[in-house]
This record gives sequence, C-alpha cells and structure tokens, in this order.
Amino acid sequence: MMLSVRDLKVSFRTDDGLVRAIDGVSFDLEEGEILGVVGESGSGKTVSLLAVMGLITDPNAVIEGSIRYRGRELVGLPARELRRLRGNEIAMIFQDPMTALTPVYTIGWQIAEQIQAHRKVSRSVALARVEELLAEVNFPNPREAMSRYPHQLSGGMRQRAVIAMALSCNPALLVADEPTTALDVTVQAGILDLVRKLRATHNSAVVFITHDMGVVSELADRVMVMYAGRIVERGSRAELFGDPSHPYTRALLGSIPPLTGEKPRRLPAIPGSPPSLLRLPKGCAFAPRCPARYEPCDGAKPVLTGGSHAAACFRVAQA
Amino acid sequence: MSEEMNTDQPILETRALGKRFSIGTRFSSEGRRVVHAVDNVSLTVRRGETLGLVGESGCGKSTLARCLVRLYDITDGQLLFEGNDVTSKSLASLRPLRRRLQMVFQDPSASLNPRRRVGDLVAEPLRVHTKLSGAGIRQRVAELFELVGLLPDHVVRYPHEFSGGQRQRVGIARAIALNPDLVVLDEPVSALDVSVQAQIVNLLADLQDKLKLSYIFIAHDLSVVRQVSNRIAVMYLGSIVEEGASEDVFATPAHPYSQALISAVPVVETTPSGRRKRIILSGDVPSPLKPPSGCRFHPRCPVAQDRCRTERPALQEHKTGRKVACHFPTI
Repeated sequence: MMLSVRDLKVSFRTDDGLVRAIDGVSFDLEEGEILGVVGESGSGKTVSLLAVMGLITDPNAVIEGSIRYRGRELVGLPARELRRLRGNEIAMIFQDPMTALTPVYTIGWQIAEQIQAHRKVSRSVALARVEELLAEVNFPNPREAMSRYPHQLSGGMRQRAVIAMALSCNPALLVADEPTTALDVTVQAGILDLVRKLRATHNSAVVFITHDMGVVSELADRVMVMYAGRIVERGSRAELFGDPSHPYTRALLGSIPPLTGEKPRRLPAIPGSPPSLLRLPKGCAFAPRCPARYEPCDGAKPVLTGGSHAAACFRVAQA
Repeated sequence: MSEEMNTDQPILETRALGKRFSIGTRFSSEGRRVVHAVDNVSLTVRRGETLGLVGESGCGKSTLARCLVRLYDITDGQLLFEGNDVTSKSLASLRPLRRRLQMVFQDPSASLNPRRRVGDLVAEPLRVHTKLSGAGIRQRVAELFELVGLLPDHVVRYPHEFSGGQRQRVGIARAIALNPDLVVLDEPVSALDVSVQAQIVNLLADLQDKLKLSYIFIAHDLSVVRQVSNRIAVMYLGSIVEEGASEDVFATPAHPYSQALISAVPVVETTPSGRRKRIILSGDVPSPLKPPSGCRFHPRCPVAQDRCRTERPALQEHKTGRKVACHFPTI
C-alpha cells in the first residue's frame, strides 16, 4: 500500500466556531493507481489532499487521524522531513498554474531549480533534464520554451510546464487538484492523456481531484465521492458509474445533460444547495436535499458500509 | 423551446458584424496594432428560440455577445433588431431597445452591487425604464421573485446572504424585469456548483416557455449548451465555422474543428470499450493578432490541404440548413 489514510479529520477554528472541513475520511491508494476524488465546492476534496501533502499551515487548523505514506506516518512529521518528500516522491499540481510558477524567472530556470533542490546534479545536467521533460509533456519546441517566462505561455502550456516540474523527480505519487478546470476541453483532453501516459511510463500513482464526473470516468481506476467533508460513496470506476448507489451520486450523474441522444425536456435537478460547514445537520448532510430521505437520516450520520464498493447511506445499508 | 415559433422575422440579425480593438500605442515595441476579435459574423436569432454560441476561450464569443447588446461599439457590419438597423444608434436612442434586450453575466457576485438589497437591485430597471409607482414596483418585484423561485421575504437580503445559485436567480430576475424579448446569457451556469447548474438550466427553460423569450446562450460546457439550444454556432478565432440545429451538429459535426471540440468533451462511460474516439488538436489557438493565412484553423486541422493554407473558406449553407466554413466538410 502506497498511501493509507485513516479517520482523517481537519477542523479550522474560526470566529463563528469550529468548522470541521474533513470529518473522518479513510482511503487507500495502491502503487500505480489513479484515484478520482469528486465533489462540489466545500466538499473537502481539496483540504483532504492538502492535509496529505502537509500543506495546511494555518495555525487555526487541527489535523487528526493518520496518513501513512509507504509505511511512514506523515501527520506530525517535521517540516524538514516533509519537504524532502514533497516535490521529490510526492508532487502536486494545482488548478491555476500561475500560482505554482514565479513570474520573474524563465520556465527552464524554475524547473532546473526544482531538480537541483532534490538531486545533487550540475546545472547543465539539470537543464538537459528540463529539455527532456518539456518534450515529454508535448512542448513542440522545448529548447525555446525553456527561455520563456510564464506570461508568454498560454494556459494549457503553463499547466504542462507545471506538470513537467511535478514530474522532474519521477514522483511516486502525483496529486492533481482540478488541473484542467480552467482549461478548454480541447486542451484538457491533452492533459488527461499526459496523466495516463505518466502512469504508464513511470507507474506513478495519481490522485485526481475534480468536480467533473466525465473526467473521472475517463481517467480513474477507483472513485471517491465527497459531500460536506465526508466520503459518501467509493468504488471502482465500473461499480460507481455502472451501479451508483448513494442518492447524491445518482442525482449528480442524473443532472448532467447528455451529449448524445434524446434531450430531456427538463433536467433532473437536485433541489437546494450544498450545506454550509458551519451549520451541518445532525444527521446525514445530504438529507435536506435527498429524494430518499426517511427518519433515520435525521438522527445520525450514516457510515460508509460495504466492501470495495461502499456507500454512506441508511437506505442503501437497509436494502 | 416553445412549440409554435414565428419564423417570419428574426428578432436579431447580424450582417458581417465585426469588432476591432486597437491595442498598444505608437510607443510600444510593435506600435499600434489591430485585433479582429469578431470577424464577419452573420447570425439570425428567431423569436422564441435559443441560439448557443460555443468555442474555446479567446474565440470571441463574449465579445460578440457584448456587441449584440451594444455594450461594445460595433466596428464593422450591421446589427438589426426586428429588422431595424441599430448598429450605430446613439446611447440615448438605444434606451427603448435596452428594455427589450437584456444580459445575464457569468459571475452573479460581480454583477450585483454588494451594498444594496436584492429587492432594490431587481427594482432598479423598473425605476429607470417605467413610470410605475412605489407600490407598483414592489408588486412587480414580488412577482419576479416568485417567477425565479425566490421567497418574497428575500427582497430585504443582501447578495452575500445568498448561495451562488440564488444569486444567479437574482441576476435573472433583474434581466427579465422589463419583459425583454431577447436575453443574452454569458456563461450563466459556469460559476455554479454542478448540483445547482441543472436548477438554473431548468429555470431558464421555464421562463422561456412562460415569457416567450429568445436566448443567446454562451457557455464552454458543451453538454449544457446542447441541452438549452435549438441551434448552435461554433466559433473559432472570431468567426463562425459551423452553424446548425444543435442535436444535428452534436451528432454529426461537419467542420473538423467542431469534431475535435465535441470529441474532447469527457462523458461518463461505464465500460472502457465504450469510450469514444478522441481527436486531439496539436498546438494552441493562434493569436488573433497574427491570424494564419487561408483557413484560420488550418495549422491545427487534421485534414488540411494546400488549398486551406491560401484560400479562406466562406460559411456556406448545405442541406438541412447546416452552414459550414470548410473546403472539405464531412457533410
């Protein structure tokens, strides 16, 4: 097991009280596996992975639970130790590539710096590696691109430069947080291909966070659906999309307009909006919007039950 | 979306419409330059129908939308509203037109004044354009709130007290306050959570039926555009490359660019074998400052021939009303 997260809880102390952004998340990731994490804003998909990366530095954050990477506990690991892992064995790419690039240095300089921070190599060796990497992420002219500044590249190119940077030390684990959300579909298709290629050539494990069910179904081996800080359903791609069992997953899939075939006159919409984490209901957080709601839903929070395909729902557990 | 459509006179028509921006000054390194953001666009929108505009970022769809409501001055061609030329009408003489032509923007938190109550925000167009009394305005605002699915006591709230979906409902209430004929919707659901998008899409369909509205709907989410549109126009580098009935264009796109665009949309498939064939375009959208010669899509086109490099294809009408700007369309 490469990554094993157990009962992860992340809370933030705010003026309005304690906000529990992540409430008991557990999952495993095998070597070379692509895990898709789906959820809306506020579902906790980003915060849970930031916690895994040790990137929650807010002094008001409280992190509980266990995160084991290749048998090593990451919660409570000193910052220096974490830094050695991050960027080297574990890499991350974000939604907006501009936040990961400095505007004042060239692409080549930045990626070479990253390599030299983790490997004892000369500048020229590092620069040669940068050229290889840029070619790998499909820059048509990698040598020329190295001398470019981020603002001289298009959004898709920037994201590819960030991916090249993430790949620079052959990471065993890549965490991608909505890396294609700001991009056009045509560019997105290229980036998704790149992620697939990375897994094939480096056997890297990937955690891919997105709100787009279509992206997950094309990329992931296993899928985890989050709502209001908890996992509501998880399973293999075939299980989750072929036989979704949680009412939220079903409703979310149902509300996507089809790209082919008959157009429904009205879309089956989910009423209401995602709950505020400050005012979560006592029972299931989805209950107020759920078409299958009944008494038990308001009494307690359902726990994830089932084997590889599991859902956190009283109705499903009862059936 | 309404059943009976009066197809006689289009509500809106553009004839070879263009928008040029000049950028830089004579002191910049490359001097003054001109960008053709929208180039030679001829479109019609019929009464009660929805025309969808799709294309990648930077293709000029939002610029076109702003030209259609005269938020930008039009630099070339003509804009006709119910057959009347409104291309260069003065702002004062545009006012009667503004009542009938409204716009909804992408980000409702940016287009609503945070310091005013939403009831006031919806009442504002009524105060500007109508002679309604205070009580009349209050009554109309209450009607509008009901129409868009907000509660009557919401009028005293401020925009920040609402969720994104509710804020977009306020934006829509404001746009339909004056009973417009045509509403231009620029990415109205893109900023919303997935689970809320369908609500707004349904609301827009209901309002169209009830109020006999025509829509121009812009979005980068192609499945949403297909859902709401009767016809769609695909834009590339400021021009329309394909236009037709939305289900037909999605089922059998004729322009190589439309084919690539539609094939790139990720869809939920349960079996890997069911995955559709994907066309991946090489390179990026060229800069509109230096558009390629001939067909503007030729550097990225998988089927480009010599002719495409020199001769620019015109938007030509084929059978079933499909229009395609390509020398070698698959139709």
